[in-house]
Amino acid sequence: MRVQRISKAVAVGAALALALTACAPGGGNAPSESATTSATSSGTNTVEPANSGLADLGDITTKDGEIKVTVGAPEFIGYNTNTPQTYSTYNSAIVDRVLAGFSYFGTDGAIYPNKELVSYEKTSDDPLTIKYTINPDAKWSDGTQITTADAVLAWATQNANMKNAKGKQLFDSVSADLGDTVPKGPEGAADSKEFTVTFKNPDPDWQIQSWMGAPAHVVAKQGGMSTAEFVDAVRAGDAKAITKAAEFWNTGWTTKPGTLPDAELIPSSGPYKLKSWSAGQSVTLEANENYYGTPAATKTLTFRFIDDGAMVQALQNKDLDVIAPQPTVDTLAQLKALGDAVNIQQGDTLTWEHLDFNFRDKAVFKDSLELRQAFAMCVPRQEIVDNLIKPLNPEAKVLNAREVFPFQDTYDEVVSASYDGRYDAVDIAGAKKILEEQNAVGTKVRIGYSAPNPRRTDEVAMIQSSCKEAGFEVVDAGDPKFFAPGGTQERGDYDVALFAWAGSGQITSGQNIYGTGKPQNYTEFSNKDVDAAWERLATSMDPAVHLAETKNIEKLLWDNLFGIPVFAHPGLSASSADVKNVRHTATQSQIVWNAEQWVRAE
Amino acid sequence: MLKFILKRLGASIGILFAASFLLYVLVINSGDPLSDLRESIADNRDYLMQQRSDYMNLDMPWFQRYWTWLVGVGGCFALKCDLGTNIQGIEVTGLLGAAASSTLRLVVLATVLAAIAGIAVGVLSAIRQYSGLDYGVTFLTFLFFSLPVFWAAVMLKEYMAIGYNDWMKDPSFSTVQIVLIALLFGFLMQVFLAGSIRRRLATFAVSAAFVAVVIPYLLWLNFFRYPQLGPAAIVVLSLAVALSGTAMSVGIRNKLVLYPALVTVGLGLVMYYATFSLLKEPNTWVLIVGGILSVAVPGAIGHFMGGRLRKTAMTVSALTGLAFGGLTVIDHIFRAWPGFLALKPRPIGTIGSQTPNFTGDFWETFLDRGAQLLLPTLLLAIISLASYSRYTRASMLEVGQQDYIRTARSKGLSERTVIFRHAFRNALIPIATIAAFDFAGLIGGAVITETVFGWKGMGQMFTTGLHAVDPAPVMAFFLVTGTAAVLFNMLADIFYALLDPRIRV
Repeated sequence: MRVQRISKAVAVGAALALALTACAPGGGNAPSESATTSATSSGTNTVEPANSGLADLGDITTKDGEIKVTVGAPEFIGYNTNTPQTYSTYNSAIVDRVLAGFSYFGTDGAIYPNKELVSYEKTSDDPLTIKYTINPDAKWSDGTQITTADAVLAWATQNANMKNAKGKQLFDSVSADLGDTVPKGPEGAADSKEFTVTFKNPDPDWQIQSWMGAPAHVVAKQGGMSTAEFVDAVRAGDAKAITKAAEFWNTGWTTKPGTLPDAELIPSSGPYKLKSWSAGQSVTLEANENYYGTPAATKTLTFRFIDDGAMVQALQNKDLDVIAPQPTVDTLAQLKALGDAVNIQQGDTLTWEHLDFNFRDKAVFKDSLELRQAFAMCVPRQEIVDNLIKPLNPEAKVLNAREVFPFQDTYDEVVSASYDGRYDAVDIAGAKKILEEQNAVGTKVRIGYSAPNPRRTDEVAMIQSSCKEAGFEVVDAGDPKFFAPGGTQERGDYDVALFAWAGSGQITSGQNIYGTGKPQNYTEFSNKDVDAAWERLATSMDPAVHLAETKNIEKLLWDNLFGIPVFAHPGLSASSADVKNVRHTATQSQIVWNAEQWVRAE
Repeated sequence: MLKFILKRLGASIGILFAASFLLYVLVINSGDPLSDLRESIADNRDYLMQQRSDYMNLDMPWFQRYWTWLVGVGGCFALKCDLGTNIQGIEVTGLLGAAASSTLRLVVLATVLAAIAGIAVGVLSAIRQYSGLDYGVTFLTFLFFSLPVFWAAVMLKEYMAIGYNDWMKDPSFSTVQIVLIALLFGFLMQVFLAGSIRRRLATFAVSAAFVAVVIPYLLWLNFFRYPQLGPAAIVVLSLAVALSGTAMSVGIRNKLVLYPALVTVGLGLVMYYATFSLLKEPNTWVLIVGGILSVAVPGAIGHFMGGRLRKTAMTVSALTGLAFGGLTVIDHIFRAWPGFLALKPRPIGTIGSQTPNFTGDFWETFLDRGAQLLLPTLLLAIISLASYSRYTRASMLEVGQQDYIRTARSKGLSERTVIFRHAFRNALIPIATIAAFDFAGLIGGAVITETVFGWKGMGQMFTTGLHAVDPAPVMAFFLVTGTAAVLFNMLADIFYALLDPRIRV
């Protein structure tokens, strides 16, 4: 039996060998590795940018090939990013490649006009009047001209005065103020390429006002009218006539996951157009062959919806070419371990962390500038930056301003005019002296923040140990419901709030934070001089006044110690070393802000 | 029986109801759904907050929110489900469909594989109780069972995706590697085949030598980039199946069984050439029909030629036919492999259920999907392997001590008959419960696997919902997994009653 079995095994083995010898070596040799990157492409850009805006690539043609990018796990939702359903940075990352705007943010938050689509000039300061001239060659990818009608649609969708039968805003849009700020909307013939807008009040942020979005000819057609009729109805305020069109704008572009609307409904005005969508997996963009400006550098751009934890390995396996993970020390270490195969982009973002004193009824710091100063003296800002931020962004600095960032040109000027550096180094002795003078040794300071947030917990711990020596008893009042209705923040049960504002590049947004009684003035700070300075800033159209008032406001906020800025949040992204022109940006447009310029090195 | 089922159903609905209430309250109290907007300084912030409050009914008291949700779900009985809207105002019902289908694709194969492999390993280790194999298998299954999923996933990606893809560029083995693989293979083979020391040594030597010869030969063939099987190898391998099947069932000299099996091989060869162009560019239906025919036709041959050994002849022939059919499919996959490699130079991806914009023929697309499914399936299967193998082993050992097994042995039945006909079948009864549990659990339990491998399934929906303090998707997840758990448990109970007359009431 035993012998039999062994012989059987041998027989099977022999038969197998026999069968295999019937084969001959397959194919030629394995394809050799792709050519090593040439010496000339050692930089990360094909053309070095002249400023923080888009680099001028010159006369280029679209190269075949595919670049795969992820900005995070959330799924694509729809072509129209201005409805509440679709309004997210993840959705915009895709749609912004397809629908061109009149301006864009450079890497430092500076505003640049989109010269390929439009040129504009301010013709009057009072009332603020802007004249827009659309590029005569500018067309939608279906061949329709881009005209004033498209601007009228953009205005209509942001006009809260247009109401439906139920009294709700006709266009279910995320913004609703243009009807009031620009009562007449864009003025000019519907089919012309020129129009003017007149603002009711001066608006220093007029450049980022959005006048270009969805295609008016598609909306009008779906509403059962011609483009001219649509424009007339909007201007006449005839809400009833455009109800059907508005209904389409609200819901017509939102389709079942994985199914794009018909191609004729989603023309493109940007360098890319939507090609396909695989639910939960990817959205593919293809270069718009009818694009009127510099064509996309690479033909296919694929967005994938990938969780942070999976990004680095996917980059390593070349499943992805560009990734934008949440910046953590671990992720950075993994990326660094990949060596020359990847480029890592690090830098600050426009989101910044700050400690705000509570000026409400029971808070300790309410009436005492001295105590606020003592606290500011013992907060170890440099230590916080060194320990928590520098590992992610070696160039990180302590933030000494609220309205400008270290990577912006005016930062040094504003800081030197408003702040003398007195809280740069921890001064325990000084703080202790003040506390003793004020007879406030052992004062309990509750630092509130939205938990869980390990970084903020660490920050509080550092403040705790430093300020303890000065005589403050710091309490970690982190709470998951810090911001929730009825939570710590609303009740005012904290002395210092620790959180971050996500900056948007607007000039006037700070008024809502520091002005008396404004909605984001959580700590109820009130200072007449600050209010007046903001009023002057917000009503002036002169950049020199903006700068002067910014200095003034910063100085007042430092002198009165509204709060203490700490650092700008670090950003992180990485790209395959052979993909060029991937550039870090501080803004919320994320790493894909210049995706149309990405190209694989030869 | 009906009363029993109704009673179970009533209790289940009660449990679901109570659990949904508890979960809803827990979710809406787990944080602040507006937190991201509170730190925003966009000028439309208040408007956005208002819109989100409307979608999520944040202005209602908690019991009213729950009630609104419950009423919407109650609509399911009238076939008009309203599972509410998520934090962005998107209908959850639509999202649920996409998520559920993605998860099912992921878990079905994994569960089936885990069940088959787990039961096989369990039976094997029960038969060889307290042997080296038993200890080895026990060690390994417990090791797999206790693997942290996220870590194991990262390791799989590192070695089986990135490492494999790098290796695939220019497949090679160093001499040391070949020797090590040969030794390992020899060692494993002697563990599995067991026997006396001499036999173990012989098995070890033969299999190690075999590997040591085959690997350089495959490398010479460039087999890893240009794999080939060819009709000759298929015939030889299916002949081996036919011969060993006959030998193991009735002995090689029994022509009643041997001849139909040989005829099957011959017919297979004819069909190989006949279907060649069809199978080059098939579709799923062709494969399904072909698969059925490759079992049914040889079965019929066995039926007609088998005479008094009809049953055995049918089994052996069908098995041979299946082997031939399977090998033919593998042959075609091998033929598609070089083309697939040209389209996708790094075959195994770390993310997603398919390569975006992949355009290949049927087999190339099949390979793409397969390569993307490989790692997550492997991971899920490995982890649930343990429970199957341990339960099967315990169950087999318990059954093995029953009186009727002793009776069967003392009747003089062969060991194979005792184990498979008497012990194994009875041992399977408790396994039915485990399988039901496991399947229900896997639907919801693939949270980490989905996240790590970039599948947008149920788990993803649950975690995103919970992070955003968004009750609608979380509750939809709960509805599906909860109902599945309850339903499969009930099915297991009913199945149990069917299998085992003693517990019928």
